[in-house]
Amino acid sequence: MGIFLKTYIRELKLIFSDIGIILFLAFLPLVYPVIYSLIYNPELVRDVRLVVVDNDRSALSRELTRNLDATQEIRVIGYAADMGEAKKAMHSHECFGILEIPQGFEKKVGRGEVSPAVLYSDMSLLLRYRGFLVATTNVAQEMGSKILAEDIAGQVPMASSLVTGDPMGVENVSLGNLESGFDSFIMPGVLILILQQCLILAVGMSGGAKREKPWKFAATEASCGLDVFLAMLGEGFAYLTVIILPSIYILHYVPLMFSFPMAGDPWEILLFILPLAIASIALGLCFQGLCRERESVFILWVVTSVAFLFLSGLTWPRFAMPHFWKFLSDLVPATFGVEGFIRMNTNGASLSQVSHDYVSLWILAAVYTTVAFFVHKFVVMPARRNNSNNIKLESKDFQKL
Amino acid sequence: MSGFLKIFNRSIVQMARRPVYWTAMFLLPLFVTLLLTSMMEEGLPTKVPAAIVDKDGSNLSRQISQNLGAMQSVDLAYESNSFTEARHRMQKGEIFGFFLIPENFQKDLLSGKGPVITFYTNMTYYVPASLLFKTFKTTALMSKAGIMLNIGESAGLSEQKLKPMMQPVNIVTRGLGNPGLNYSIYLCNSFVPCVFQLMIMLMACFALGHEIKYGGSVRLMSLADGNVFKAIVAKILPQTIGWWVMIIFMVSWLYRWQGYPMNGNWGWFILSELLFVLASQGIAIFFFGIFPNLRLSLSVCSLLGILSFSLAAFSFPVESMYGAIGIFSYLMPIRYNFLIYIDQALNGIDIYYSRWWFAAYIVYMLLPLTVGWRIKKYFDKPVYVE
Repeated sequence: MGIFLKTYIRELKLIFSDIGIILFLAFLPLVYPVIYSLIYNPELVRDVRLVVVDNDRSALSRELTRNLDATQEIRVIGYAADMGEAKKAMHSHECFGILEIPQGFEKKVGRGEVSPAVLYSDMSLLLRYRGFLVATTNVAQEMGSKILAEDIAGQVPMASSLVTGDPMGVENVSLGNLESGFDSFIMPGVLILILQQCLILAVGMSGGAKREKPWKFAATEASCGLDVFLAMLGEGFAYLTVIILPSIYILHYVPLMFSFPMAGDPWEILLFILPLAIASIALGLCFQGLCRERESVFILWVVTSVAFLFLSGLTWPRFAMPHFWKFLSDLVPATFGVEGFIRMNTNGASLSQVSHDYVSLWILAAVYTTVAFFVHKFVVMPARRNNSNNIKLESKDFQKL
Repeated sequence: MSGFLKIFNRSIVQMARRPVYWTAMFLLPLFVTLLLTSMMEEGLPTKVPAAIVDKDGSNLSRQISQNLGAMQSVDLAYESNSFTEARHRMQKGEIFGFFLIPENFQKDLLSGKGPVITFYTNMTYYVPASLLFKTFKTTALMSKAGIMLNIGESAGLSEQKLKPMMQPVNIVTRGLGNPGLNYSIYLCNSFVPCVFQLMIMLMACFALGHEIKYGGSVRLMSLADGNVFKAIVAKILPQTIGWWVMIIFMVSWLYRWQGYPMNGNWGWFILSELLFVLASQGIAIFFFGIFPNLRLSLSVCSLLGILSFSLAAFSFPVESMYGAIGIFSYLMPIRYNFLIYIDQALNGIDIYYSRWWFAAYIVYMLLPLTVGWRIKKYFDKPVYVE
């Protein structure tokens, strides 16, 4: 037990004396979620710029343009004389879509023929396309049912009552993320990723620091299996202690600040996060095997954030992933963390409803702790004992060249 | 052997010796490129798990259920008895949405009471939920059209007359360059180069910072005859060449083998990618000049490199961001890489419209000139600050 407490306290001292580690455990969790949330905080894409080429110039075509402009999604910035002029506007990045209304549009509608107007959308950003699609569908439907009602009333007076009364309503309800906002969709998942990555990076960096100066911070005296395990546990617990406050801030106060959906029970969420934190710390302890120096963590680990974001299924759902990637995503704590947290926080699930994710996290925590033990016993500890002066060796290397 | 060549060779030996270099320059970028492109190979997910709640159980409601089940993009995995049951399934993550047909649906419809079909989508997952939304809405509207057709026919109108009346105002939306809404095309073209930007910046700072940390910079400067720019260029050039090879491979992978849209001129596009490498190195050296310390410069490059994925507006448009944040979108080279990709590869428009984006690359390449004196100061007297 002595060695556990000794390493625990030594690790806490290391954490608070190393600006690099503090950066990952305090600055990043504090600032990153806020910056990210601010970027997406407008939530919805409004007023996407559209240019209209009106070859019909009728009352109906003008009404269509007016109605589109009135939607939340579209802003008509002007008319173009022909497609050439409209394309020029699009190429100069003034608009992201062109609506072409064909000649005879109104007449054909009056005669009951099909005459589609075409909206050409820039496809660089799907959210703009989505805006165009939603707005045009809604406007076409509204105008359509109005015309239909007038038409039928003209032909069969009796039937009009049926039509204007809307024989069958169709309604959509977005659950969880009620306004379908982008911030509320992406951020809860990103918060979990930030938490995991901060822990792994901090633990990894401390590993590098200890490889560089083992005499200062590391329990080099631990040699037998149990001692190595206890020393490792002591290290890990230091991070678990330090991350408590940042976790509460990230998972409770950030959503509060930016009014993300918060349907879950805060205590259950904290309980759910515990194995995630343990698994992340253990993964960091494994990662220490690769960190010869402090700075390697940036090079080797930062980019994995992108990979983990996609593996978590936040953007591309896991059921549609190829088997190999799905298997790989099963190895990442954040995958289950993101899934479970989103369901609890956004969809209001209880801990028992996310039991699959919860159990998976505990399994990962156990597996990574075991792996970390072997990494520490056979890689990290021997390296700390033997490589006692890493910096001088490197320097010599540089001077010779 | 001239000093330039000596530094160049020295740099190659240093890179070859440490596994961290080839991991970061070859393995990691290749891994992420492969991951992104192969994960979303299908373009759009099919068979999104969903449930139907049919409280009516009439001929008509069963007909609607069958229509829905026949849609390719949805997998009606469950039949739930109530709203609550379906909602529970959603909370457990078994389904992404459900379609609810109310009690007495058929009866109410025939007696003109106007029953309402409601569908619920779990918008905490954008992609599957949006697909469900589209499928549900299409099915509901098609069913509605069918019903109205029946009413119209019973009122004595011919089907020929009725069909166009179902949708008198018709607007077709066409996606230029990516008509199939391929998600992979939409995401990989921006995310993969952004991974490159991150790694290019990190490796530039890593190489320069190491010289200071391990005190090699004095020898570096003496080999360069005290010219800091000669030292930096010779030191970084092996990396530049490595990145050029990598990025040309990346371009070939995306636009030739994966068949992503390349509607413009290959020459301009490849030029853009080559300049992009130089621009990313330029801004990295600039940051290194401001923070001439291995750890600080790597921290800054990591922070901005990761932030770039959101800030460069790959998914949420700049014009929708707050103005004070949107301007930062133009801070990093990746933004211009993205804009050139849109103009030259996706839309294939004249190079004239992209001229400013290319000019921006040049600015990044010139940035190190402003901090050369500071790097020289630290190279001459290397002190590793903890």
